[in-house]
Amino acid sequence: MTMTTTVTNDYVEMRFGPRWTYISCVRKFVASFFMIGLADKERAEQISMAASELLENAVKYASEEDSYLKISIAKHLNEVDVCVKNKAEPHNVNTLRKELALIHAGDPEQVYLRKMQDAAMTEGQSRLGLIRILYEAGARLRLETKEDGEVAIHAIFPLEQV
Amino acid sequence: MSELQTLSADGLQVVPTISGDAVRIKMTGAVEMRDPGEVLTPFWNEVDDEARRLAVKRVEVDVRDLNFMNSSGILTLVRWITKAKSHAPHAYQIALQYDRNVTWQRTSIPTLAKLAPSLVIPTDINA
Repeated sequence: MTMTTTVTNDYVEMRFGPRWTYISCVRKFVASFFMIGLADKERAEQISMAASELLENAVKYASEEDSYLKISIAKHLNEVDVCVKNKAEPHNVNTLRKELALIHAGDPEQVYLRKMQDAAMTEGQSRLGLIRILYEAGARLRLETKEDGEVAIHAIFPLEQV
Repeated sequence: MSELQTLSADGLQVVPTISGDAVRIKMTGAVEMRDPGEVLTPFWNEVDDEARRLAVKRVEVDVRDLNFMNSSGILTLVRWITKAKSHAPHAYQIALQYDRNVTWQRTSIPTLAKLAPSLVIPTDINA
């Protein structure tokens, strides 16, 4: 794992191989880091939960070639941007696009409850991570894709103006 | 005599006890393994079997010392609640005891209760 901190306050970036056991370590680090940076335990825990859920998705769906993932978290004036980047196969990118369209298509609580009920009736992955970030943590989600297969997903948290 | 066994896996401990007309379950640690369903789904199924065998009225799950649960862990609770709901009108009640000072608990537990409001009772018990 490599870690870079820039001269800007409240910014951290990490790049590492898609190894599951790193996720917990990153979640705890992000929570501690933003507990200091924001002095807001609830926001720090929401940001670390989002980081963890995005990293779990990235590890599950990263392409096997050129395998790495990168997480950067930056505090701007009015928001915190959690961004996870990885390479993904085209069919996984399409699934992600559909998933985002679905969770933005209705009232977040109703979408979350419906997805829970649907997931309970089917085998396999939960696919609850993104709607959990949207509904439970109150973040906006944004997807960016590149032609080389790199996917970046952002969870953006508004900050209260002091 | 309880058929339920303590579960220990990857930083998680789940201790069940039977007391009077309730099954009590204490969860400690974190649920953040890749597939928590591998260990938790069989556990919740056993809880369901035992609760029905003993005809208990209530199953209490104390998550206050559970510092994190990932969405795959949440799904195991969703599946258990869905199963318990299917036993109506003889379903047992599920009391989810949480601490509002732990962010994931304050947001996830009341949401889970909305799946079956007459069956699942979220109870905020400050540590």
